[in-house]
Amino acid sequence: MKEGSGEEQNVAPSVYSHVSRPGSHRYKSAKKGLPFNVMLVGESGLGRTTFLNTLCERVVIPPREAGNCEQAHIAEPMQFKHYTVDMEEDGMKIVLNIIDTPGFGDGIDNENCFTRIQEYIEMQYDNVLAEENRIKRNTKFTDTRIHALLYFITPTGHSLREIDVELMRRLGSRINIIPVIGRSDSLTPRELVLFKQRVMNDISANGIPIFNFPNSDDDEDEESVEENAELRAMLPFAVVGCEEVINEEGRPVRVRKYPWGVVQVDNDEHSDFDRLRYVLLNSHIADLRDRTQNGLYELYRTEKLSGTNIIAGTAAATNPAAVAPTAAATGSPVVQPPMVPQSHPVAA
Amino acid sequence: MSATEASANPQATAGGIGIANLPNQLHKIVTKKGTNFSLMVVGESGTGKTTFINTLLTTELIEPLDDATRRKKQLDKTVDINIHKAELEEKMFSVKLNVVDTPGFGDYVDNNDCWLPVVDFIENQYEQYLRQEQQPVRKGIVDMRVHACLYFIRPNGHTLKPLDVRAMKAIGARVNLIPVIAKADTLSPTALRQFKKRVMDVIDAQSIRIYQPPVESDDGNSEERNREIISAVPFAIIGSTLEVKTEDGRRVKGRQYPWGVAEVENDQHCDFRKLRSLLIRTHMLDLISTTEESHYDKYRTTQMKTRKFGEPKPKKSENKKFREEEEALRKRFTEKVKLEENRFRQWEQKLIAERDRLNKDLEQEHNLVKQLESEIEAISNAGSPNNKFFRK
Repeated sequence: MKEGSGEEQNVAPSVYSHVSRPGSHRYKSAKKGLPFNVMLVGESGLGRTTFLNTLCERVVIPPREAGNCEQAHIAEPMQFKHYTVDMEEDGMKIVLNIIDTPGFGDGIDNENCFTRIQEYIEMQYDNVLAEENRIKRNTKFTDTRIHALLYFITPTGHSLREIDVELMRRLGSRINIIPVIGRSDSLTPRELVLFKQRVMNDISANGIPIFNFPNSDDDEDEESVEENAELRAMLPFAVVGCEEVINEEGRPVRVRKYPWGVVQVDNDEHSDFDRLRYVLLNSHIADLRDRTQNGLYELYRTEKLSGTNIIAGTAAATNPAAVAPTAAATGSPVVQPPMVPQSHPVAA
Repeated sequence: MSATEASANPQATAGGIGIANLPNQLHKIVTKKGTNFSLMVVGESGTGKTTFINTLLTTELIEPLDDATRRKKQLDKTVDINIHKAELEEKMFSVKLNVVDTPGFGDYVDNNDCWLPVVDFIENQYEQYLRQEQQPVRKGIVDMRVHACLYFIRPNGHTLKPLDVRAMKAIGARVNLIPVIAKADTLSPTALRQFKKRVMDVIDAQSIRIYQPPVESDDGNSEERNREIISAVPFAIIGSTLEVKTEDGRRVKGRQYPWGVAEVENDQHCDFRKLRSLLIRTHMLDLISTTEESHYDKYRTTQMKTRKFGEPKPKKSENKKFREEEEALRKRFTEKVKLEENRFRQWEQKLIAERDRLNKDLEQEHNLVKQLESEIEAISNAGSPNNKFFRK
């Protein structure tokens, strides 16, 4: 757990107050715990499980059981697995809901993985939409909208693969995507810098929307603007997962041991893990929630209720039960009769 | 001179007729002729195939692709076969080396049948050789038969992917297949051990045929070394063409991390030396001979049983993807044709309608003119009878 951030900004007291109080970027639901829903997506072996266990500082997802060797030629379909962990960060209680997607990208043909994830995300939005429209609403309604999607990129050292581009392209307008490099300890520092550059070039060249730490409109705080710029430059985050804890000079250190050296998971020079953890659980948890609830959800809602597809390129499934009749969204070619030429030769 | 078997007649060893000198002659012949070796590398992009080849040959045989080319490759969604040729010479012995690379393998969202181009290439080389052998003039045969195929497995630490299983099964049945764990410097020693065991378990359970180097050898040291090599399969490798300095000041080929240097030629770090030994130092000739005697022979036998002498190989059904594309194109084409026909028909109808309308107008005018003419006549008839111009 990171030691106290020490960045408590005291709000200027109103004319009548006697005491200045800490800034309320923290939510007030101190008792119940702030729900934070995160989805982990990536091919198997990139360290999703280890990442989560490292993030929560305990074994949340048990190590995968080796499947049957005789079944190894059959791809297991992608599953959605849920885990809930109560966390406390900087005095703030968080209920971390994780949705893992084992089986993503593991098959020979992975075309349907994208649609299934998209449907899952939209289903959570649909639940909220339905709840909003109820006459008698459920006060205990749990908001399952996913606030962030961590996408694990294979550290090829070259650039994004087709499956990476496709996933981020199709889902980026529905959910906050934070790209992450899994197993980043397979890249040397120079290779890592080049890889990050290439990945970000690919992302901008393809027009892929990701969560790139945007400055909110009313955010004129120079420090936050700087912080966001710094984080933007770190994308995608290079992550290493912890295998064991050793004792170094009396302090526990999380490490990965190799014959040629020891990687320190929480060391900023070895990996971006600690920074990412802080972003997720502390500095940007509000941003992510806000953007999901007030940005992405609203966009989805508008699209769904008006039955039109505002965003070009996404395959948003328009609900047949939508209110307004849909204009012919499919581009069926309308035959235009040609203009009859003006000077007509008359056949006698 | 390797130990020849003790002849039945103990007296023969004393003088002998000189048969024992044959290996020397062979040595001279082989040294003069040199040899031809084809190595194939198969695996997803980013597994270190290019780096490995360049490390193995200590020369940049394959140039790494630049970003623009790589992006273009992503879009065409095919598996290519690229052949790189080199001639290596060491101590007066030369080897004509062919390295076959397969960019695009396993790189796409839909990788169905991506191993087919690889398998086709292997079989085509056998076919080419078979054909050349059957020619009346057999000099100068070009032999591109693949002697070893390295399959690069991603180190995901769990198990073989279904794609790996299917591809290795198809490839291993036709060529000497050597599985290799790519970028092994991302697995800790324990994880690596477990992964190797798991890979071998799957290979056994799925009856994937991999190359088994012979253990027996004439001198005891080699046997020991052979056993070590065999026990290291699948080989965990790290590739690097860069020289770096270790903490204790040595200059080695390796990868420099903030936490240490992973050395390529260190047996504690990876199996590169064992694999190099297998491919070049100790088992190259075995790889060549097993290809010729076992794999090629199998192909030859099946072909000769089913085909008559001189008949060309029956063409396999086309790639499914091409068929699909062809279908789609054909459909689009017929649709377009239909649309155009419709358009023209409508235009024609419009023209006909226009023509009819104009004809009608014309008729009306004509009628009008006739009417006027008859009126004129009527008037002229009814007019002055004395008029010279008008006749009755």
